[in-house]
Amino acid sequence: MDFKTALKTLTDGRVNFIVVGAYAGVVQGTAQVTRDLDICYERSPENMKRLAVALAPCHPRLRGTPAGLPFVLDERTLAQGMNFTFQADFGDIDLLGELSGVGQFPELARDAVLIELHGMQVRVASLDALIRSKRAAGRAKDLNVLPELEALKEMHAIQDQEKKDSK
Amino acid sequence: MTEETHRRLYELVNNPPPGSKVAAAKEFGIDLTLNLRSLASTPDERAASMESALELMEEFQRAGAKLRK
Repeated sequence: MDFKTALKTLTDGRVNFIVVGAYAGVVQGTAQVTRDLDICYERSPENMKRLAVALAPCHPRLRGTPAGLPFVLDERTLAQGMNFTFQADFGDIDLLGELSGVGQFPELARDAVLIELHGMQVRVASLDALIRSKRAAGRAKDLNVLPELEALKEMHAIQDQEKKDSK
Repeated sequence: MTEETHRRLYELVNNPPPGSKVAAAKEFGIDLTLNLRSLASTPDERAASMESALELMEEFQRAGAKLRK
């Protein structure tokens, strides 16, 4: 999985997106390893068009489908669905129009944090949003991550206090 | 991260207040010293470190698949 290329593809394509899922957790300090990138994308027609155009050169196809199955990713396809799991030349990417327990892009953007990753400014979901989404998803794999995320929140509080004290 | 913050986080991880989320995570079996190390890095370094681990894991998988052929 080439995360840098995935992020660069989206950033260069001026796509409005927020990194969510395990990669966002890693950036926030979890000790997990993930092999896909989950993003929440803005569902405006302009942004969905930018998303489809940006991904096109990376040959996105629905993950797990037999080779040769015809598939076209365009604004219309995105508008007709919500969440998609793709494999592309850079690896696996999940496009989420909505994150359970949080909502869509505008709700997620409220407390997302701007972080430098691979030399790019990328919006990443807040720890609070990640916790809410994992709790709402409620699957065993999500609930297993919750204690680590919640502990991290207490650890972040100490770091945040330091930042406040130094001002 | 300053030494003082590192010391406070180390203290929290090793002697978490009863009822805290850190205590619950330890009870759940999570090794929070890994998170402590992660928090000492920048977000960019955290991502890079995970990506190196993934690369190594994928290399092992490829080598294993080759052996099975």
